[in-house]
Amino acid sequence: MPSDLSSFLIQLFSGLSRAMMLFLVASGLSLIFGVMNILNFAHASLWLLGGYVTFSLYQAFSIGFGQHGFLLIPAILLGTVCMFGIGWLIERVLIRRTYAYELPEQLLLTFAMILIIGDLIKLIWGVQNRRIFLPIEPIEAFGGFINPYLFIVIGCGFGIAAALWFFLHRTRYGKIVRAAVHSREMVSALGIRIPAIYAGVYAMGVAIAAFSAGVFLPIMPIGLGLDMDLIVQCFAVVVIGGFGSILGTFVASLIVGILYSFSVLIWPGGALAIIFLILVTVLIIRPWGLFGTEMRF
Amino acid sequence: MGDSDREGSWKNTVDLMNRAVSRRDFIITSGAAGVMTMVPRFARAQSAEPYRIGVLLPTTGSGANYSERPIKILPLIAADINSRGGLLGKHPIELHFRDDQTKPDVGAREARSLILNEKVKTIIGTWSSSVAMAVQEIIHEHKVLMLTATSNSSKIVNENYTPYCFMFGPTSGMQSRATVVAVTRLIKEKGWKKYATLGLDYEWGRDAQRVFVENLKKASPETELMKELWAKLGETDFTSYISAVMALKPNFLFGAIAGKDNETFLQQAKGAGLFKGIAYPGVFLPVTELMQQAKTLPRGIIGINRCPFFANMDKPLMQKYVKLYKDKFGKEEFPDDFACMYADALNALDQGATKAGTVETEAVRKSLTGATIETCQGKLPIRDCNNQLDCPSYLGEVVDVPEYPFPIFNPKTMIVVQGHDVWVPTCDEVRALQKKRS
Repeated sequence: MPSDLSSFLIQLFSGLSRAMMLFLVASGLSLIFGVMNILNFAHASLWLLGGYVTFSLYQAFSIGFGQHGFLLIPAILLGTVCMFGIGWLIERVLIRRTYAYELPEQLLLTFAMILIIGDLIKLIWGVQNRRIFLPIEPIEAFGGFINPYLFIVIGCGFGIAAALWFFLHRTRYGKIVRAAVHSREMVSALGIRIPAIYAGVYAMGVAIAAFSAGVFLPIMPIGLGLDMDLIVQCFAVVVIGGFGSILGTFVASLIVGILYSFSVLIWPGGALAIIFLILVTVLIIRPWGLFGTEMRF
Repeated sequence: MGDSDREGSWKNTVDLMNRAVSRRDFIITSGAAGVMTMVPRFARAQSAEPYRIGVLLPTTGSGANYSERPIKILPLIAADINSRGGLLGKHPIELHFRDDQTKPDVGAREARSLILNEKVKTIIGTWSSSVAMAVQEIIHEHKVLMLTATSNSSKIVNENYTPYCFMFGPTSGMQSRATVVAVTRLIKEKGWKKYATLGLDYEWGRDAQRVFVENLKKASPETELMKELWAKLGETDFTSYISAVMALKPNFLFGAIAGKDNETFLQQAKGAGLFKGIAYPGVFLPVTELMQQAKTLPRGIIGINRCPFFANMDKPLMQKYVKLYKDKFGKEEFPDDFACMYADALNALDQGATKAGTVETEAVRKSLTGATIETCQGKLPIRDCNNQLDCPSYLGEVVDVPEYPFPIFNPKTMIVVQGHDVWVPTCDEVRALQKKRS
């Protein structure tokens, strides 16, 4: 157990940053499933691809303008836009063909995408890990040292959560998306082009993933296999929160992140087991997740 | 095939390896490397059977980052041997690359395929100890030689020992004991009293941590182990572990973390200020990491590595490896520990065949067991009871030097711990561990 308030607060902060990292990756996955009913197994691979794209953009900017940390901001934004385009293209060329099929076909297609994206990354960037160096120095807070960049990660997590909420509840397009979740036939009958909605949502999910990969680059080197390491925990978060529920994904990320953080301190050997214990419990008691609806289940 | 065609084929192969290695590339490079390494055969001797070697290394998964340079150097060494006609001057080496994906089941499947389909007589690899131990079962069954270096769980040469497997790098146990030697010295110097450990929760991590803790307990019984922390292989966020360690406030942390995870940990630990108050001796820092993390690596931390070129530039074979590598891949490129160890493995095979006077597996195996071979670290014996090369471990403080564009271990204070000082002391003790196949 944390022996003092300082340790407690630092561990809580670590848990919060882990939660936001999970949310940033998992929110796109949840959004895509919520609207399109597509279990995008390749989501983390697209996240990884987004990281590599952002890395290359940062390198390109650095050649032109010198190595400055602030260049990461345009690199992340441009990388997000690029990945939005790639996501749109993938939906139009590949994903739309699976709407008529069942889950196994979707899984097969998206698993094939993992292999293709992995080989593509190897061909373009090679097998070496890639990283962006920012001269981050620890700061004193809560009676100890913390990484100040984690404030940015946490801020981005809350920012994306707020932006998604605003988009889904306060914009016309968002309301159409929510309506499509409940009845795509009715939305279509109103003359709204469902394929365009789907392509937009898929591209948005991929773009959020790419954005998060860019944000993580200064604290997490990217490399082959990272996608597979992440996807399992992302699925756990989405299942606990309820597929398709952004609020659920957010709350589940907080639960998983913070619980994991304190488990590391209290019972290091069982930290991961606790997460999956929660997952199993949720699946038994409430299979549609904490904030999911029975209808979607 | 004309000389220019062959040169083109060779260039394409190396370009492919230089850029990236994928499953498809493996198929291409298998063929191309075979052609390339057979070139001298056509030029000199056309009658002898080629000697086929399977190279089983990951180009996907956690180990991919450490496989690049071994995959690049092995064709250079094979071509060098083939320029003399091959093994015994008449058996040109053919290399057949396969990706084990850092997965034991895939490694075992590919090893079987290499033996049954490609008819290889030796397998060189792997990266992961779990994969190596799965492959050991296959090579033992088929009586095929296995030369390993990167995968270095002590179990490979002890509990899971097979006489067909040879280890060309220090085992995790040897490295952990070498770290104990350095840490014991630091404990006395700095008055450290308590420590914590953080390891990757898989075969190598568990083994390295266990040996370190056991041996430190013997060497410095008053030093208290506060807590053992375990992170999963492929952990992306060490923040919780770092803050947990900082909350414990140990004098030092022992880490059994490797590969991409090691880089992630170091980057996050530095940002979180872990190294400001807690020493981190014995972090695994192969030359790969020193080069790749040139900008981010915290200076002053004490790392351990297995076969650094910069500590052995007075050895003729190391000079040769570095020259071959730089000539082919550019002046800024250097072979890492893994490339050097696997180059030694291939050269050892050459020496074993020469000593045996044949390329027959049993004869080569017997000639290598207990032999003293020329390596890039000088002349070193292979232990006859478990086929472990008596190779040193290197511990040193990370510092910048003008000679290289990346940090190295401080040459003035570097500690070189000899293999025979830290391996399982007697062959009787080794044999007691080798119960599985006895």
